[in-house]
This record gives sequence, C-alpha cells and structure tokens, in this order.
Amino acid sequence: MPLMPKEKVSRWWWAAKLPLFILVVSVLVPYYWMTIGAFKTVPELVQQPPTFVVEHPTTQNFYDPGFVDGEDRPEHWAGIFQRESEGWGFVHYYLNSLGITVFVTLLSLLAASLVAFVLTKRPFPGSRFLFNLLLASMMVPWEVTIIPNFITVADLGWINHYEALMIPGLAKAFVVFYFRQMMLSLSGDIIDAAIIDGAGTLRIWWSIVLPIIRPGIAAIGIPVAIGEWNNFLWPLLVINDSEHMTLPLALGKLAGNLTFDPQSAAVLMAASLAVSLPAVIAFLLFQRQFIDGLTAGASKG
Amino acid sequence: MTTSFTQQLSRNVRRHGGNVLLILPFMALFAVFAVWPVLRSAYLSFTDYHATEAPIWVGWSNYVELFGDERFYCALWNTLSYMALVSVLAVVLGLILAAAFGSQRRTHQWARIAFFLPSVAGGVGVISVWKWLANSESYGLFNTVRSWFGLDPVRFLGDPAWSQPILIMMAVWAAMGYNMVIFVAGMRNIPAELYEAAALDGATPTQRFFHITLPMLRPTILYVLVTGMIAAFQVFYEPYILFGSIDSVGGPLDSALMLVTYLFDHGFRQLNLGYASAVAWVLTTILFVLTMINMRIGRASEEV
Repeated sequence: MPLMPKEKVSRWWWAAKLPLFILVVSVLVPYYWMTIGAFKTVPELVQQPPTFVVEHPTTQNFYDPGFVDGEDRPEHWAGIFQRESEGWGFVHYYLNSLGITVFVTLLSLLAASLVAFVLTKRPFPGSRFLFNLLLASMMVPWEVTIIPNFITVADLGWINHYEALMIPGLAKAFVVFYFRQMMLSLSGDIIDAAIIDGAGTLRIWWSIVLPIIRPGIAAIGIPVAIGEWNNFLWPLLVINDSEHMTLPLALGKLAGNLTFDPQSAAVLMAASLAVSLPAVIAFLLFQRQFIDGLTAGASKG
Repeated sequence: MTTSFTQQLSRNVRRHGGNVLLILPFMALFAVFAVWPVLRSAYLSFTDYHATEAPIWVGWSNYVELFGDERFYCALWNTLSYMALVSVLAVVLGLILAAAFGSQRRTHQWARIAFFLPSVAGGVGVISVWKWLANSESYGLFNTVRSWFGLDPVRFLGDPAWSQPILIMMAVWAAMGYNMVIFVAGMRNIPAELYEAAALDGATPTQRFFHITLPMLRPTILYVLVTGMIAAFQVFYEPYILFGSIDSVGGPLDSALMLVTYLFDHGFRQLNLGYASAVAWVLTTILFVLTMINMRIGRASEEV
C-alpha cells in the first residue's frame, strides 16, 4: 500500500507477493517471445520444445541477403524489408504509418486547439450550440459513423488513396473538449490586453494560447498518436493495395497466414517488434507524459 | 425593423466573421464525417442497401430480421459475458497491483512500467504474437507450459471452449496495468491522516485497505469500470486477428463472434450496409442503456 507507514514486513506478506512478481514477469512474456522470435531461424522457431534463448541468432527475418525473388531456396525467405511492396517492403509501410500518424496528430491538434479557443474565448452567436454539438457527437460510438463514412469516402473516390487515411480523422471532438477544459482556467486579461494591442484571433492563438497549453498538447497528443499508429479497422476498410498499406494492416495480413506457414510467423515476430519498438522507446524516454496523457480522462472523472 | 436587422447582421459579421472563418474548415469536416453520418446511418438502417444501387426503404424489416437472427444473440451473449468478465477482472487485478506496487520504490516503479507497456505498445503487433503463443502445436508457448504440468496440448484457437478464455485473458493482460496506474494516482490522493489514525487504532493493513482505500476510491473504480465496459463492448481487432480467416470472422462455431465483428461481417464482407447500420443502432442503444445504468448505480452509491 502506498502510504503504509514503515512497519515490520512479515514473511507472509512476501509469500503473498510472490504471485504478483510472477505476474510482472508474465506481463512481459509476449514482448520477450516476440523479441527472441524475431531473431530465430524458422527451424528454431518451430522446434519442439521451443528454445527460451536464441541459439542461432539471425537477422534473416528482417533482411535476407540470400533471398532471390522467384527462386525457390528453402534456406532463405523474404525478410520484412523485402516483402510485398516493390523493393522496400516494410520500410514503405513504416513511412506510410509514420506520415499519416504525424500528419493527423499535428493537424488535428492544431485545428482542435484553435476551435476550442474561438468557442471559449471568442464566442459568437451559435458558438454554444456548436460546442454542444461537439459534445453530443462524443456520445455516438464510432460503429454508427463508420458505415456512412465508408460510403462517403468511396463516393469521393478515395478508396486506396492516402486521403482516406488522412482526412476523415482530422476533426476530433474529444480533443476540442480537452483543450476547452484547459482554456476555461486561462485568464481573460492577457487575451484582452492582446486585443487592445491590435492582435487578431489567429495571432493570439499562435503566440499566447498555444505556448500556455503546451503541456496539454503533449498529454492529448500521445493518445491521439498511439490511436493513429495502431488504427486497424478503418485502414482495413478503405485500403486494399500494398502501396497505401499501413503497418497494422500489413501485420494483420501476415497474422492471417500464421496458422499455415511458419515462415510468416518468423517474419511476423520481426514485424511486431518493428511496430512495437518505436512506441516502447518513446514510452521509456517520456514515461511521465505517456502515463499522464493516456490516463488524462480519469483524473477529471 | 429591416434596417436594424441588417445592421445587426453586418455588425455580427464584422465582429465574428473572421473567427467563424477560422473554425470553418474544422466544422466542415466535423459536419461531413461526424454529424451527417449519424443521420445517414439512421436512414440507412431502414433501407436495403448494398452499395451498388440506391437504397430501398424497407421500414423496420432490418430490425425485425436482426432480432430474429440466432447469430445476433450469439454475438450479443459473447460480447456481454466478455465485457462483464474483462471489466471486472481488470478492475480487481488493477486494484491488487496498485496495492502491491504503488510505492515510490525503484522496483515498484519498474513494475508499473512493465504493467503499463500493453497500453503503449499494444495493438495488432502484440495481438499477433498472442496468436503465436496460443499456437496449437507444442512449440506454442502456452502448450509448452501445459506440458510442464503434464497436460495435453490444447487447440486454443480451434476449440470453441477456449476462444473466450483466450480473448478474456488477452484483454485483462492489456487493461490491468492501465487500471493500476489510475488506481495508484487515486490512492495518492487519499489523505495520509486517515491511514495514520487507523494505524493508531490498531487496524491491520488488510482492514485499512477495505475500510479506507476501497471506499475512498469508489468514484475512480466506478469510472474505470464503466470506461472498461464501454471499451470491451466494442472489441473488434483482437478477435479479428486471432480468429478471422477467409471464410469466417467468428472463430470455431462462432465462439469468438462479437457484436462489432457481426457488424463487420454483414456490412463489409457481405456489403449489406442497411442491415449493418441497424446493427450499429442496436449496439448504440445497448451502450447507452449500460451507461445510464452505471450512472444510476454511481449516483445511488454516492448517496449511501
């Protein structure tokens, strides 16, 4: 217990804690299994019983120099950076995912902060209604909108285009709501002073509001970015060519082959590692921001 | 009268026009991708629509068909039981972990980071790894562990009896660390004097947990439970990755069929978009009722 005063820790207490430490280890097992699996050769991966330390480490699952497309060499297979998309393989999916995540996160946060600022600090007739509409839309689960949005995107001719992944997710009501909560506590004096000095709304937003809400931008940006990075269902609906595929989609496709083909499994472990690693590294570097950001909803509740 | 109206209008335009223009791009996207779809979806749920020809109005028949479909009840039951077990288990384990690893000690901090990892690096990647762990061959890790205890290998992904336990285990694994972190933050906000006073009165740690920590955390627990239920109710990619194949999305004997998978199956595999819209609205209604019940319980428990 966190605030328990120091007292004699009994042996029973430790006995009770042992299962918990086993739990700590087991929570990491999928990550460990993925990491060692990524560096195993296919024969070692399907060895019975499995090895817990890699005996013959290989980087074949990432890039196999011995693999020649079209030739059947049983010892060699296409690593993740040699698969599918012409020449580039997963590098291509990486760039797709990265580009879309950065684009949507940056633009949706900027737009939402501007909207929140105008609606709370520069109200106009009807602004209250617009805010309530944003609030009401948060009650509607995504299952309702996904079918019409699919039809809209198809009508716009965006199937298998980057627009389908970049545009529909830009207007995020919950981010507006989050920023509005932050801005309610923002003093009006500094803004009034800026108005008297002749600054326009855009100028005040950029030079005064954005710097003040910077901690909030990090806090809400992390869940938005993670959501985009992991987004699976929407890309599954609107993308079916390898040129525009994102990492989760490519992974999902590989995982579908898993039951039949050990080579896919070996490559899949490498691919899972590649998709998880950026998030893990970012998390270890910015633990506080990640935890604050991802649990942001709870502290207000 | 007219002049004053136009005067007022032009004054409003001069005063607010620029600001409205600034938020217009966002609002346009919001209207197209968040407001209009709600109305369109409501309309489509009363039509027969397969994306190729114009929708045909069919009244309530999608809903009638839906409530007559055995597969819908199968999905509903799977989803509700999954939701109840996942949300409750993740809260209980989250509380235990928070009580056990809540201190500022280095080891505890590292343990919390480990438990939080699935919230950061979750998604399709790790779920695919789970699929490999649950592999039916004896090189699948779960079956290896079973063999240590002398148990026969099990087809975790092929035996209907195992579909739900695997999905529940995976979801609890992913959610308990998240809950733990929220509970730890909540426990920090409980005044230390309460514990000190109780300790002076001779209360054991267990008594203090049940008589101070739990009651003080009640709002947090309720929040975590409700959001956990809502998230679990909408589960999609976990069962899809684990059990989806070319000819089915529900796993063996539909044992892994969830409501959203059911919607996906009708809407995007059979392109029965009218029917799928009806599924979406039934799903929304259930979610709404669940939220209302939870809020009622929350209010009642605060009054006590």
